[in-house]
Amino acid sequence: MATTTLPQVRPYQRSWSSWLYTWLTTTDHKRIGAMYIATSFGFFLIGGVFALVIRSELAVPGLQFVGESLYNQLFSLHAITMIFLFVMPMTTGVANFIVPLQIGAADMAFPRINALGYWLIPPGGLLIMMSFAFGGAPVGWTMYAPLSAKEASTGVDLLLMGLVLLGTSSILGSINFLTTIFKLRAPGMTLLRMPMFVWATLVTSVLLLFSLPVLTAGLIMLFIDRNYGGGFFDPALGGNPVLWQHVFWFFGHPEVYVLILPAFGIVSEIVPVFSRKPLFGYRAFVLATASIGALGFTVWAHHMFTTGAVFLPFFSFFTFLIAVPTGIKFFNWLATMWGGQVRFDTPMLFAVGFIALFLIGGLDGAFLAVVPFDFMVQDTYWVVSHIHYVLVAGAVFGIFAALYYWFPKMTGRVLDERLGKLNFWLLFIGTNVAFFPQHLLGLDGMIRRIADYSPNAGWTELNFLSSIGAFMIATSMLPFLWNVFITLRRPPDAPSDPWDAYTLEWATTSPPPVYNFDALPPVRSERPLFDLKHGAVDAHAAALPAGADQSHGEFRIDPPEEFLGQPLEGHEDAEGHPRGIAPEVSAHAPDSEKAPPTDEPK
Amino acid sequence: MVFVLGPAALLLVLIACTSGPNQHPTGDANPPGITPGQVVTQQGQAAVNLYLLTFVIATIVFVLVEGLLLLIALRFRRRKTDVELPTQTHGNNNLEFLWTIVPAITVTVLFVAALITLTTETEARSPNPGLTVEVTGFQWQWTFAYPEYQNTAGKAISFTGSGSDGPTLVVPINEPIRFRVTGQDVIHSFYVPQFFYKKDAIPGRTNEFDLTIKDPGTYGGQCAEFCGLNHSQMYFTVNAVTRTEFDSWAANAQSQANATPPPAPSGAAKIQLKAVSVQAGFDPSTLTAPADSPLAIELVNSDTTAPHNVGIRKGNPDGTDWVGTPFANAGQTALYQAPALKAGTYEFFCQIHPIMKGTLTVGS
Repeated sequence: MATTTLPQVRPYQRSWSSWLYTWLTTTDHKRIGAMYIATSFGFFLIGGVFALVIRSELAVPGLQFVGESLYNQLFSLHAITMIFLFVMPMTTGVANFIVPLQIGAADMAFPRINALGYWLIPPGGLLIMMSFAFGGAPVGWTMYAPLSAKEASTGVDLLLMGLVLLGTSSILGSINFLTTIFKLRAPGMTLLRMPMFVWATLVTSVLLLFSLPVLTAGLIMLFIDRNYGGGFFDPALGGNPVLWQHVFWFFGHPEVYVLILPAFGIVSEIVPVFSRKPLFGYRAFVLATASIGALGFTVWAHHMFTTGAVFLPFFSFFTFLIAVPTGIKFFNWLATMWGGQVRFDTPMLFAVGFIALFLIGGLDGAFLAVVPFDFMVQDTYWVVSHIHYVLVAGAVFGIFAALYYWFPKMTGRVLDERLGKLNFWLLFIGTNVAFFPQHLLGLDGMIRRIADYSPNAGWTELNFLSSIGAFMIATSMLPFLWNVFITLRRPPDAPSDPWDAYTLEWATTSPPPVYNFDALPPVRSERPLFDLKHGAVDAHAAALPAGADQSHGEFRIDPPEEFLGQPLEGHEDAEGHPRGIAPEVSAHAPDSEKAPPTDEPK
Repeated sequence: MVFVLGPAALLLVLIACTSGPNQHPTGDANPPGITPGQVVTQQGQAAVNLYLLTFVIATIVFVLVEGLLLLIALRFRRRKTDVELPTQTHGNNNLEFLWTIVPAITVTVLFVAALITLTTETEARSPNPGLTVEVTGFQWQWTFAYPEYQNTAGKAISFTGSGSDGPTLVVPINEPIRFRVTGQDVIHSFYVPQFFYKKDAIPGRTNEFDLTIKDPGTYGGQCAEFCGLNHSQMYFTVNAVTRTEFDSWAANAQSQANATPPPAPSGAAKIQLKAVSVQAGFDPSTLTAPADSPLAIELVNSDTTAPHNVGIRKGNPDGTDWVGTPFANAGQTALYQAPALKAGTYEFFCQIHPIMKGTLTVGS
């Protein structure tokens, strides 16, 4: 064969301006995802500094570092930063990177809207942080009217506008995710073969789409009340202050699941891989995720029991009911690990830490559903403890699990295990030292959002302990940051599939090429890569006492063939063609996992 | 070593630079624990029983899940010899049914128990309460009024106070007390930890509840809903006494209420000001006052709809904004005591409607 000399490719000019230009103008879902992750981690550190100031002030009675005015701004902005500028953009960023890969797509459905969604975050965050320079926004993250309507500070207006920008970003993002998940799945990937993280992102997007417009409307109503003499929430003008709480919590409670469902999805990805087993009860998991999402819209007023303005039994009952699908998830995770070969690498440590500690947050929630007890601990440190067990032990552990798990896919480098384990144990112990004592403080009557408390109340020791825990959490970030720093200085050497995983993102190189996949393996179950490595039929036949119906012992009611126009499952349609798979595409499965496609020009 | 000495040194430094700790005892003197401290109301004790029931169930779930996790970590850890795949179990119908139905039954039982306590104790109303108390929260004070005890002018006796003790609410024990709670400006919450109860004080809304206090004593309370700058110092004290002691206290309070009210503090320069409307602002919009003398500001709110007040930018000695409380509702008049000001030009404003403002010139 005659050789053809290809023209020499000119080396890419790596100047700072071209590097910056590439990032500023990118519409690649992976780069946008990385920018989301980096930006939100920056806000995480800012919110963490706020938390350290708060815990320093509360370490002992009396005012030491900040006065009440600054303290009130700090606790408000701590929550706003952590919820709207850290957890939400962080999980959006991880989903941005991972979801198109997991469903075998080349990019998100609307790449430019995706970029717009990201670029709304920095100005939104800037507006919110600027509030400190304009009188602050000391209204709490709940912004209860009429306090928020009467607070004579431009900072509150900046906060409201910043939140409107962030909300717009999330609405754009959820529409993009829904379209991507419904329209761009690989051939063969029916809804009931989607990875659990994709399911979690789907349900999260639906929650955001239904709840965020309500918040945005409320924020604008509040803005009108503040600046143009509106009277939506002012009883003197015929308004109703409780209306704000309904509007806010109709967003605010689904928001809690927006923060935690991605973490559920992440843990459901990691636990099976590191146990070498499939997820136990995949369908139950899908149903539980969907019902948590649905029930999330029925419980908003459990934040308002003490207003005396809501029907207590209804909201109490539905709050209790959420324990059922959550319990299913917990027991299914345990059953996934049971009988497996569990490997405790750092991602798995964070996933197991999540299960161990989120349980406490969940049980706290059951206490709060007991209305007569809620009357005692509402607005006390019990609630502070509950939300931190849910959002630190829950969302933050899930996010760290995701970062350790997908870091090789994102950067081509595996993070150091020893530093990772140090990070985990410091965070695990610090979380408990910081937040467990707050249960006892709340049960003893210490209310939240106060800069000072009496030395006679017997609260000093536990508060001091809690502050030590907060500093341990801060310390746990140092090994992580050092780990990322030294790992990124190494040349990329990660294999396509460092964890022996199951889902499609591990079927391409680490990091993936711009177009993601050279070829896709056939998708015949929720574990296409496992099937590729072990043989879909053979491995199952050898490992399983499969029944005649191939159900592997799982109870199955035949689901409808289609849902919202999407094939749910089943390999063939009525004419015998593989469902959802164009025959010419399904023939192009790669030959072997051992020769992954590379992004080098051939 | 550093983990012991570090915090110890920090504690010493912190205590050394503490300024004037607040001495108000909210809660009881017992150290916090996993069981509630002193609970003195009948309704609170019923809620404590619910807490204990929930605690037992939660402990069982906690031990079960964490125990299984530990067992898995010990027993199913991957070994070097694990080459073959473990059995690829996809699910088990019976097990999944079990852990759907058992939690569902458990939470239903808990819900019914909570509902029974809620309807028979917490939310129950006495047909003839022994005493009615009207509680009003406003920034950052409380007013306790006794509508059944009036002075000769027909005005209910009432107590207002702020500061580290706040006003005292005197109530009899062993009889249901009807509380009627409302807010004047923003949302507050009436909370006494030893009552094991709180209820929000919401402007435009009156929340009613009954509590029966079982033990005599003094109990600290505090606003529980974040309500602005001095939320952490919005205290009050409850003094629960026997019926005999309460009657003599009430008679005494009534006779004191019949005495003439104390005159306005002397030596204060008086300023009269009218709040016309949000658009028209204050009348007049320029004021003058002598320097270094406390100011008495009388605000006539002639607006037909909105409440207003007066604040002075950087009017406090520490450079923060001084704000007059409480708000004057539409058609009402409020008298404020502003601190002495240094000579200069200040801006005065309404806290709710910052576009209402004017200039205050303080001369020597």
